Amino acid sequence: MSDLQRLREAFRTSLDLPADAPVDDLQYQDNEKWDSLAHMSLVAAIEDEFSVMIDTDDVINMSSFQEAVRILGKYGVSFDE
Amino acid sequence: MNLLHPGARVIDAATGETLTEEMIEAAEAALAPEPGGVVFLPIETTLSSIARYLAAFRLGRPVVLLDPDGDHADLIERYTTTEVHPDLALLLTTSGSTGNPKLVRLSAEAVRTNAEQIASVLDITADEVAITTLPLFYSYGMSVLNSHLIRGATVVLERTGIMQKAFWSAVNEHGVTSMAFVPSQYEMLRRLRFDPAKYPALRSLTQAGGRLRTDRVTDFAQRMATVGGKFYVMYGQTEAAPRMATLPPERLDEKLGSVGLALPGGTFTIEDDEVVYRGPNVMMGYADTAADLALGDVQGGALHTGDLGRVDDEGFLFITGRRKRMAKVFGVRINLDDVEKNFPVTAVAGDDKLCVFAEGISDDEARGLRTKIAEWLGTHFSGVEVRTVDALPLLPNGKVDYRALESSL
Repeated sequence: MSDLQRLREAFRTSLDLPADAPVDDLQYQDNEKWDSLAHMSLVAAIEDEFSVMIDTDDVINMSSFQEAVRILGKYGVSFDE
Repeated sequence: MNLLHPGARVIDAATGETLTEEMIEAAEAALAPEPGGVVFLPIETTLSSIARYLAAFRLGRPVVLLDPDGDHADLIERYTTTEVHPDLALLLTTSGSTGNPKLVRLSAEAVRTNAEQIASVLDITADEVAITTLPLFYSYGMSVLNSHLIRGATVVLERTGIMQKAFWSAVNEHGVTSMAFVPSQYEMLRRLRFDPAKYPALRSLTQAGGRLRTDRVTDFAQRMATVGGKFYVMYGQTEAAPRMATLPPERLDEKLGSVGLALPGGTFTIEDDEVVYRGPNVMMGYADTAADLALGDVQGGALHTGDLGRVDDEGFLFITGRRKRMAKVFGVRINLDDVEKNFPVTAVAGDDKLCVFAEGISDDEARGLRTKIAEWLGTHFSGVEVRTVDALPLLPNGKVDYRALESSL
């Protein structure tokens, strides 16, 4: 699985979305399942999946899927396919 | 009843707009042509919802606070009436159980008194600035609003929540002095490495909505102490409008594990191991039907809490368990026996979580079950954990060994 697929999967699992749900355009609170509680699980899932420790500022800045891609870039996860 | 002290301010963090007298009057005018009786208010964290809430109070119309994301058609049908008791001011749903919620009947006097009691023990003055951290249909969220409005303080309306930058920007922009959280949010704050020094105006944190582990209590009390701030452990139930006890921060170390002293005007006694609260803020009673909304007080100021506990020689209350098997999920009470009646699972209380065990189900089934149980409870799915076991542990008498399940969490 590509890194991008792994990130999509982390979003679907943490936000309790179906396996084929599109997630690339997701924004915080845009989807009713992405609230502060789900955000906690999402950050934990991303940290587990990519073996990174995300800083506080990055946790609270992660307000969309695309922002998560950008932030993970800082931790050396590249999503170039 | 008028909860709004003339000096009170309510500000929407996203728009900068403030609540005005005209907004409340407009909300009163909008309610006026109705036939009277109960007002059903799906309450959002917005100025217009708060204007409607305050307008209903001023008109002496009892208001039912509802989750704006829920479907309440059945409830509205069940409780619509113009025959209401003159003392009745506020109705809140009892949480948790079977999709057929009861309403808690609160008098104007109970709501006002509890707001004053809270304001007095937390020392809320007109200089205080609170920010919304909880939904307003939830009794803890409502009480933060009420206790600040009644003292002429400021309430900042924020909708994104503590896991987003917008929240913390609003905290500093508006000079927030106090914040209220339930145990699951304290876990989030730990993850965010919460440092009160980053928020220079912050003076206090409060905690209610279920038991917070004592190591977390100590942790947050210490974090607040480093900036000369306070950490308040509190205890309440919707049925008490909702606050019953607060632990004075200066006694916290010595009384660790206690939920504190009864609020001014209240008392705790222990009757058959059960905590019984008596005070002016106790509900009038429950309502199962519209006809019940015409009833007067049936409680006589006494509330059997269903919690087991003890009171020490100085009056500090320690909660030791629940009379019924209960879990608290995000501060909301759930009857574990009800869960077991409705789903093929064995249910135990986790840390601010409902944990259910099912024998030999697949991951897909577990996932589906989690979604179904969460929907049935009306709670967030992350508050429900489903575990698969090959076989449930049994006691010698053949009953499920709940203690073994709890210790496996």
